[in-house]
Amino acid sequence: MTDHLLTAALVLLLAAMLLGFYRMARGPSVVDRILAFDAVVLCAVGLTALLSRWWQSELYVELILIISSLGFFGTVAFVFFLQRSLPVRGSSIGPEEDDHE
Amino acid sequence: MSDFAQVLSAAVMLIGALLVVVAMIGTVRFPDVFCRAHSLGKGLTLGLMVMLFGLWLDPETNVSGLKIVAAIFFQFVTLPVASHLLARIAYEKNLPRYRKPAGPA
Repeated sequence: MTDHLLTAALVLLLAAMLLGFYRMARGPSVVDRILAFDAVVLCAVGLTALLSRWWQSELYVELILIISSLGFFGTVAFVFFLQRSLPVRGSSIGPEEDDHE
Repeated sequence: MSDFAQVLSAAVMLIGALLVVVAMIGTVRFPDVFCRAHSLGKGLTLGLMVMLFGLWLDPETNVSGLKIVAAIFFQFVTLPVASHLLARIAYEKNLPRYRKPAGPA
């Protein structure tokens, strides 16, 4: 019973990760890709929690903390970098791109 | 008793995984950056918190209390902040927004 439930959760999380990779490959803007990367990292956090439950070992909780903080600081760093370098859409400086799907 | 707690913990983790999948479907299907950040900020926060709570419920795993509470609290703090930062930079940079298509009136 427990094994079936955990296998179902594993399959669902892997499907969620695939959806995140799909959005990362085909996000129209950079912000979409960063968002999808954040989502994939959080799916990895969920997978780590699931594996910790599967092997019944408490060591993975620290790994959960480390991975989630890495994903969060990565997102913050990307946003602060883009805040300076990404051109404002529609301004005369930046390239005019209308890639709204 | 312990068996029941194990099944309960696995079921709670399955519910969390379902919430994560729903959030990711929203991330794929929604039309612009703001809707996607909304879906990620709410759905993934709740899903991951439920999954970690399910890990906490398991009697065999023996997670020490404070560490898992810190992990749950960390998700609760950082995920909405990341989603808000992404939506804010999308607003600042005037990224394309979803407008309701003009249908037959």
